[in-house]
Amino acid sequence: MNTALVAHGFPEEQVRARARHGAAAVFPAQSGYGSGLLGAGACTPDADDELERIRIVPPVFMPERLKKLIDLGREPLYSDVDLETVIGGFTSRMPLYVSAFGSTQVASHDLGEAAGRQAAQLGVPLVIGENVVPVNGYRSADDAGVSPLLGRIAAYAEAAGAEYGGVAVQQSTEDADAEVWNLIYSDPVSEPLLATGRLAFELKVGQGAKPGLGGLTVLDRDTAGRVAEQYATDEVFGADSDRVLRVSSPGTFTEEILRQQVRLMRNNFPRVKVWVKLHPGRDVAEAAATAWAAGADAVTVDGAEGGTAWAPTGFLSHVGLPLADCLRRVGRKDSCLLASGRMWEGTRAVKALALGARAVGLGRAALLAVDEDREAGLRRLAEAFALEVRMLTSAVGKYHVNALDPQDLLFPAAWRMPSAASGAA
Amino acid sequence: MTVTTPEAVDEAPAPFPASPDAHLTDPATRATLRVQSRMLAATRAFLTAHGFQELLPPLIGPVTDPGIRGSKQVDVDFYGHKYKLMTSAILYKQASLLAFDKIFYIAPNVRLEPVETAVTHRHLAEFHQIDVEIRDASREDAMLLAEQLLTHVVTDVLASMPAELDVLGRDTETLRRAAGDAFGRVGHAEATAGLIAAGHPQDPAAEIDWQGEEIVSARAERPFFVTDYPKGSRGFYDKENPQQPGVLRNFDLIAPEGYGELASGSEREHDYATLVTRMRETGENPAKYGWYLDLARRGIPASSGFGIGLERFTRYVTGRQAAWQASAYPKLPGVVSA
Repeated sequence: MNTALVAHGFPEEQVRARARHGAAAVFPAQSGYGSGLLGAGACTPDADDELERIRIVPPVFMPERLKKLIDLGREPLYSDVDLETVIGGFTSRMPLYVSAFGSTQVASHDLGEAAGRQAAQLGVPLVIGENVVPVNGYRSADDAGVSPLLGRIAAYAEAAGAEYGGVAVQQSTEDADAEVWNLIYSDPVSEPLLATGRLAFELKVGQGAKPGLGGLTVLDRDTAGRVAEQYATDEVFGADSDRVLRVSSPGTFTEEILRQQVRLMRNNFPRVKVWVKLHPGRDVAEAAATAWAAGADAVTVDGAEGGTAWAPTGFLSHVGLPLADCLRRVGRKDSCLLASGRMWEGTRAVKALALGARAVGLGRAALLAVDEDREAGLRRLAEAFALEVRMLTSAVGKYHVNALDPQDLLFPAAWRMPSAASGAA
Repeated sequence: MTVTTPEAVDEAPAPFPASPDAHLTDPATRATLRVQSRMLAATRAFLTAHGFQELLPPLIGPVTDPGIRGSKQVDVDFYGHKYKLMTSAILYKQASLLAFDKIFYIAPNVRLEPVETAVTHRHLAEFHQIDVEIRDASREDAMLLAEQLLTHVVTDVLASMPAELDVLGRDTETLRRAAGDAFGRVGHAEATAGLIAAGHPQDPAAEIDWQGEEIVSARAERPFFVTDYPKGSRGFYDKENPQQPGVLRNFDLIAPEGYGELASGSEREHDYATLVTRMRETGENPAKYGWYLDLARRGIPASSGFGIGLERFTRYVTGRQAAWQASAYPKLPGVVSA
């Protein structure tokens, strides 16, 4: 079923296995059961990824487990862990959301809609990427009124229950030309989500894979000509190539510009939640604090490990703060922090949650899972994720996922928690 | 017969006409439109006597006023370029001061408002503004002019259209009191605090919402100004107060008796660098404002001005239940009609 989507440097095979087998893929192959002897070292963590080097450390004494035992009148199990949480104003069945895929070719049409449907069935939020309108069109006459953006919103709304999840629609500088938010806010397709408080607008300040740069996509010359009024192009592939690089502006932000944009979103769209997505900039803590103070319901930090369809290779390896460093700088706050960057399984997620994130975003993993199976790939991946998060949370003696905290982690020797962490919620 | 008391707002809404002829032949519609015609004549007479030049308003352009809550702009395919129908002519008003010191338009505007505004009695997708701009004027100059203009028009209609007002059942005594004296003024912060104290959930950093506006309007016996809206609640062209960062030198004119906002105005930002920065603060892409910013680089005059919603103003003067009743071919948000 897959479309040969590849994700180098990402545990693609493991993600695809989970998309096929669900929770069973959390364990070693069943064929080895009863004969194989397991031990550490089977999966060596990436030495360059600080988050991977953190360990989750259960205690021996567990007063919270005793409380749960008293509450239940029986010994608690991992299945008693409550994963339900509030993500940026939406109630979610687990601390998970599907990150934006954007306008790139890998995320077009059916993959995006399939991801949306499965996210809705799971009861977890979905973010719809920037540049979906200017590149793909809002309602084109020859498309019988179906646009990718409205199609994704409609697919989500149809598949969702009455209570869980929600859709966040991104807009960045070029999208402001197409006024995506105004279009969505007044379109009847949005009404079921608006009426149940399940629509958010996400202001995209930047992304992890190319901090400080705007979106980059490769277009054929015909398509580039159609969007020439909105986008700059660059002949990086040579003047005789039939392809050009389409260059989006990253948009200019100062503290005051971010504060006022958030306030304007609240003023102009009182029925939606306001999300802000930050790239892993060195002042990420100040930027997050500014967004929250201005009234943002959620701030997403996309670590430098974050995936992308297209970026200069130098940026992928050398630019931006790793997610672990972002989380350390932002610290644990009462406000809703969301984290993304190479998320696909439970251990990395639990570490991010213990460091202060309310939920984690699946980007490449969600795309690969949907690519593996349009109907149930993402649902199975999330099933495996939920099982792992429940097991890990119960292992540290806790029974609500929001109760995870830095005590549950062992940090590498060089790790220093900033003073901000002392006010942990 | 339409009732004209503020409580009318709480009554069952007048049914939207099933056909244009049902609406056009209704004696109340005809009386309302006659009053509106008189109001326009009085407006033109007043402004012309005060040295204003009437200009014909532009309908389309590469860009239009973005400073509107949650409403959608209408695209026009202009020979392969994306143009917009005017949501307001604010950018052209500022530019026009290069030709004349005092200008006004009677300008049609199209704003595809969110469908939930169809029931506010105040929102129309197509409407008109009495759009005024004055070179080198302060906000206070603009407020005084708005007050004098409204008073003049109301006084004129009271004197010249008693039969129509009688047909419409307008409480003329209340209307007469409105035109009697200077209008009151209240700061946005104070108005907001009052709403919160009265149990209405109002975000102090945002525009007063539609329900809140109706509450403050219903409490008032005479028109009044709300001033000093916070940055983040209005467009980039409303000038920020240099003495009070975060507060704009702007105003709304609110009608009494629950009729709500009639007009918005401000001292205008005209400095190029400040305009670009404010555009970013309001989430706009400066590149699409090419002609306007080029002009600002070369110099746009300092000014103040305002726009009075004509159908809302007519509704107030005639005491109709809804602004659509002051239009011959009303376009309600989301409602398909003539």
